[in-house]
Amino acid sequence: MRLWFGLALLTGPLAAQSVRVRLEGRVPAAAMAIVDSLVQQATQEDLPTEPLVQKALEGGAKHVSAGRIVAAVQLRLVQMRDARTLLVRAGHGPFTAAEVMAVSGTLKRGVPGPVVERLVVALPNESRGSALHAEADLVAHGFDPDSSAGLLVEATRRSLRGGRLLDVSAAVLHALQRGHTRPEALALVRLQLPNVPPAPKPPKASVAGARRPGASSGATPQP
Amino acid sequence: MKPIDPRVHQALDREIAREGLPPELALQVARLEAAAAVLGTAVSQWAGGSVEARVMAAIRRPAPSRMWRLARWLAAPHSVTLRIRPAWSLALAAAVALVTLLPAGDETPSVGEQEGIAQFVARFPGANSVHVAGSFNDWRSGTIPLRDADHDGVWRAAVVLPAGAYEYMFVVDGERWVPDHLADRTVEDDFGRENSVVIVRPAAR
Repeated sequence: MRLWFGLALLTGPLAAQSVRVRLEGRVPAAAMAIVDSLVQQATQEDLPTEPLVQKALEGGAKHVSAGRIVAAVQLRLVQMRDARTLLVRAGHGPFTAAEVMAVSGTLKRGVPGPVVERLVVALPNESRGSALHAEADLVAHGFDPDSSAGLLVEATRRSLRGGRLLDVSAAVLHALQRGHTRPEALALVRLQLPNVPPAPKPPKASVAGARRPGASSGATPQP
Repeated sequence: MKPIDPRVHQALDREIAREGLPPELALQVARLEAAAAVLGTAVSQWAGGSVEARVMAAIRRPAPSRMWRLARWLAAPHSVTLRIRPAWSLALAAAVALVTLLPAGDETPSVGEQEGIAQFVARFPGANSVHVAGSFNDWRSGTIPLRDADHDGVWRAAVVLPAGAYEYMFVVDGERWVPDHLADRTVEDDFGRENSVVIVRPAAR
């Protein structure tokens, strides 16, 4: 018990220190203290901190002013709070940082909150992240949010899981490109379920020489 | 070994009468004749069958299989003549050393179960350098270069990443931040522009 308490006391300051090390020299000094305090707030609220760090690093790399960096990091923190509120309202038990980030990203891409909530409630854990991306893709192309969410729920009911839900949205967009109206494209793919074509794997020749990124850890893994 | 007396040979060949031999030589002749009789009996027993029986016996003996002959050939010693031209040998040794010692630059790294490959393609004619920066490399602009091997203005890179969603932009000539116009997804970057979004799916799907 004492050991755990001691570790808990230690990890907070260590994490904060590692964030400062990552931001040092890459974010304007005027923004450092506020960004640091926002990251600490996120830690205290049990929200993911990586999106805040990434936003600050992005602003620094793009030579954005300190004020705009702080505003963007604050906005990101608000978006994650909203995502967590939605997950709690959906009755979703303990959720992962990746799920908070996925919901936050989907809301940011214009999917209405109630539709996101419907998907969170209806879909199993392993499909939630992909379904949210697929829904955001369809909404971004002008599809009715409710209709496209209905298609994704139906695809899950027809045993499509995880990344295969991205194949569903890709099939719908393909039908749209072939000249179908949006309702027709949705109906056409609904008829095909669960036999939507899988995304082609990258050809060997094109991935020859693939490399790993040199810098660390900015990954925002998909749930 | 004691040499045989020539008179014994002559007696066995019936050139002289064995009665004229001294008793010890007569005894030798008698023993040799007895031994010859025993040997003659054995040979006649072995060769006693008909020609047909002997031919059939030879046919029934199985011929050695190809594998058996190959194994015998491999096991048997053979003489090999090796003629070496020193120039060719040195060239061959140098080639082997190059292949062994030089790092393989274009080798694809192994991709884990929860990893996939993100491909970046962009058209920037006249650019001197193009890099990709994003949430996968802490937005460092100089770490992942795209290459334009055939100088047609189309720049490419393939990156191994953990499965997930990533925001990114291209950095042209080290200073110009440009979104990927071919990207399927974009999202506001909260700095007044749009980031491109790539979703990396696990290779082992």
